[in-house]
Amino acid sequence: MKVSFFETGRYVPAPGTPREWPVPSGAYDPEIGAGAYRAMIDRARLVEELGFDWISLSEHHYSPRILTPSPPLSAAWIAAQVKKIKIALLGPIVPQSNPIRIAEELGMLDTMAGGRLVVGLLRGTTNEYLTYDLNPKEARERADEGMELILKAWTEPQPFGWQGRYFQYRTVSVWPRPLQQPYPPTYALGISRESCELAARNRLGLGVSYGPFEVMAKSTRYYREQAAQYGWEPGPDDIIYRANMVLGETDAEAETILKERAGIAPFPVRAGLRDALLEADKRNVAGEARPANVGGVLPTTFIGGPDTVINQIKRCREEIGAGVLDLSLHPPGSGDVDALMSAIELFGKKVLPHIRDI
Amino acid sequence: MSFAYFALKRFLKGIEVSEAFREGFVEADGFHIRYMEAGKGPVLVHLHGAGGLRLSPAHDLLARNYRVIAFEMPGFGASAENTKTQSMPELAATMAAVADKLGLDRYNLMGTSFGGKTALWLALQQPERVLALILEAPAAIRPEGAAPPPSAPEELARRLYAYPERQPPSPPVDPAVRAKTQKLVARLRGPDRDRDLETQLPQLKAATLVVFGTRDTMIPPEMGHFYRELIPNCHLVFVYDSGHAIGAERPEAFVEVVADFLERHEAFVISRTNTVIHP
Repeated sequence: MKVSFFETGRYVPAPGTPREWPVPSGAYDPEIGAGAYRAMIDRARLVEELGFDWISLSEHHYSPRILTPSPPLSAAWIAAQVKKIKIALLGPIVPQSNPIRIAEELGMLDTMAGGRLVVGLLRGTTNEYLTYDLNPKEARERADEGMELILKAWTEPQPFGWQGRYFQYRTVSVWPRPLQQPYPPTYALGISRESCELAARNRLGLGVSYGPFEVMAKSTRYYREQAAQYGWEPGPDDIIYRANMVLGETDAEAETILKERAGIAPFPVRAGLRDALLEADKRNVAGEARPANVGGVLPTTFIGGPDTVINQIKRCREEIGAGVLDLSLHPPGSGDVDALMSAIELFGKKVLPHIRDI
Repeated sequence: MSFAYFALKRFLKGIEVSEAFREGFVEADGFHIRYMEAGKGPVLVHLHGAGGLRLSPAHDLLARNYRVIAFEMPGFGASAENTKTQSMPELAATMAAVADKLGLDRYNLMGTSFGGKTALWLALQQPERVLALILEAPAAIRPEGAAPPPSAPEELARRLYAYPERQPPSPPVDPAVRAKTQKLVARLRGPDRDRDLETQLPQLKAATLVVFGTRDTMIPPEMGHFYRELIPNCHLVFVYDSGHAIGAERPEAFVEVVADFLERHEAFVISRTNTVIHP
C-alpha cells in the first residue's frame, strides 16, 4: 500500500470567524496566512522523512479551511523544498479552468519537480462552481471534455485545433511537456459512471473519496469492468482512496477524538442555496443516482488505534482494491496544529511500516 | 406540422437526400456520374467515403453558404460496376474531368475518408483548380495493417459513429452493390502508407484542413499529425466526441470550422468570437 498525505494549507482562523461558505475575505489575516504556507513546508518535510509516498493537494476557494485555491502554486511551493516525495495534484477543478493552461502548468510542474508529479483531474465539489460562475448543470460535460483535451495537449505532436462542445481552440501546442512521458501518472477523480468510463477509456487511474468501502467498491468494480472492455486491467496503483482517518494511541482514544469532532461540515452553505445546488447538480455512484454532498459532513472511515486501523486498511485494499491511500489525518480548519503533527508522527511510526505489504 | 412529419423528414434525410438537394447527372471520362447539388455561393465539391454518397446534416449546413456538389464516384451506389479505374490517381483524374464537364473552374474540395485520398490526388494533379482542401477523417494514411472497412451493417455503424444509437437507421444496402463496391475499394484504397502519395504531399499547394473526430475507431485520429508534417499549409482540428462520420455526428461543430477555414484559410486561427457580455 502506498500512502499519501493530504495537505490542506492549515490556516487557523481567529475565534469568531464565520464558517458559512463563502467566508468573508475581510476576516482573512495576512500573517496567519503567511504562517499557514510556511507550515505546509514543515509538514511536507516531516511526511517525506517518515516515508510517505506522496503529498497531495486540492483546489478549494473562498474559505480558510483549505487555503489552496491554485493547486499548481501549492505544488510548486512544496516541490521546490522537498526532494523525494511525489507531489500529487488531486486535483485541478477542470470544468472551471482553462484545460490548456492546466496542461501547460502541469507540464512545467512535472519538469521542475524532476518527474515527481502525480495528476488527478477533478470535476469538483458543487459549491466550488460558484467561484467562477460555472453553471453546475454543465460541470459534468465540461469536466469530461476538458480532461480529454488535457490528455490530447500532452500527446499530440503537431499544433492542433479543438472543436468541442464547451471549449474551442484553433491552435494548441503545449511547451513544456511533462518530464514523465507521455504524461505523469494521471487519475480521473470521481465515483460516477462518467468518471469510471473516462478513466477506463483513457487508461487512467481512478481516485475515489470519503465514502464507505462498500459504496466506493461499486465504483471501482464498475471501473474495472469498463477497463476490461477496453482491453486492460487496472492494478492497485491505479486506484486511490482519499479518506478521513482518526488515529489514536488506542481505540478508546480515537473514539474520544471522533466524538469531539462529530458533525463539522467542511463547507457549510445556506439552506436555500444548498437546496438549489442539489437540484442543479445531479450525481451518481457508478450509474446509481445519489445526491451531491453540498455543505454536508464528510464521513470518517478509518477510526481506531494502530492495530485496528491496519486491519481497516487491509479491508479497504480487499474491498475497494485501492493501492494508494490519500489520508486526511486531522480535520482541516482545526486550530490544533500540534495534534495534526502528532497524528502524522503516530501514523508514520506505528502504521506506515506495517502496511507496505498490504 | 406534426411530429411524425418531422420524424419522417429526418429519417428521409438520413437515408436519401435533404429537401434542398437536387439530383443531377453528368457524362465524363466514359462514366455516367450522379451528383447531388444545393446552395449558392462559392463551389464546394465533395467526394464521399467508401460507403458511397450519403448526404449528412453537414451538407445541409454547408449549402447555406456554398454551392455544394456531392458526386457519386463511378462504381458506387446504383452506378454501373467500375472495372476501368485501376488506381486512386486515375479515380482523381476522372473526378477532375467530371468537375470540368460541369464547368467548375476553381473550387473548394472536400474529401471524406476514402474520398480524402481521392481529393489529395486531385489537388496534386490540378493545383490551379483547388482553392482549399478539406479532409474529413481521411483514410490516405492508415496504421500499418489496418483492416478495410467492415461490411456487416451493425459493425459498420459502430465504426462510423461514436453514438450509433443517435443516428437515423441506415438505408438497406443491396448485397450486389456492397460486393461491387468492396471490390472497387479494395483495388483503389492502396497501401496503408502510400509512398507514392506521401512523397508528393510536400508539393501540395492548396491550404488544407484535416479534421478528425476524437472517438474515430475507423481511422485513429492519431494519424492526423502525419498530414500536418507532410503538407506545407496544413491545419489539424479535432472534433470532440465524434466518431468517423463527423458531418453526421457533430455537424454544427464540423461545419463551423470548415466554413471558417474555407473563408479565411490559415487566418482561421484568429478568433472572431465576441465575448462582450453587457456592451
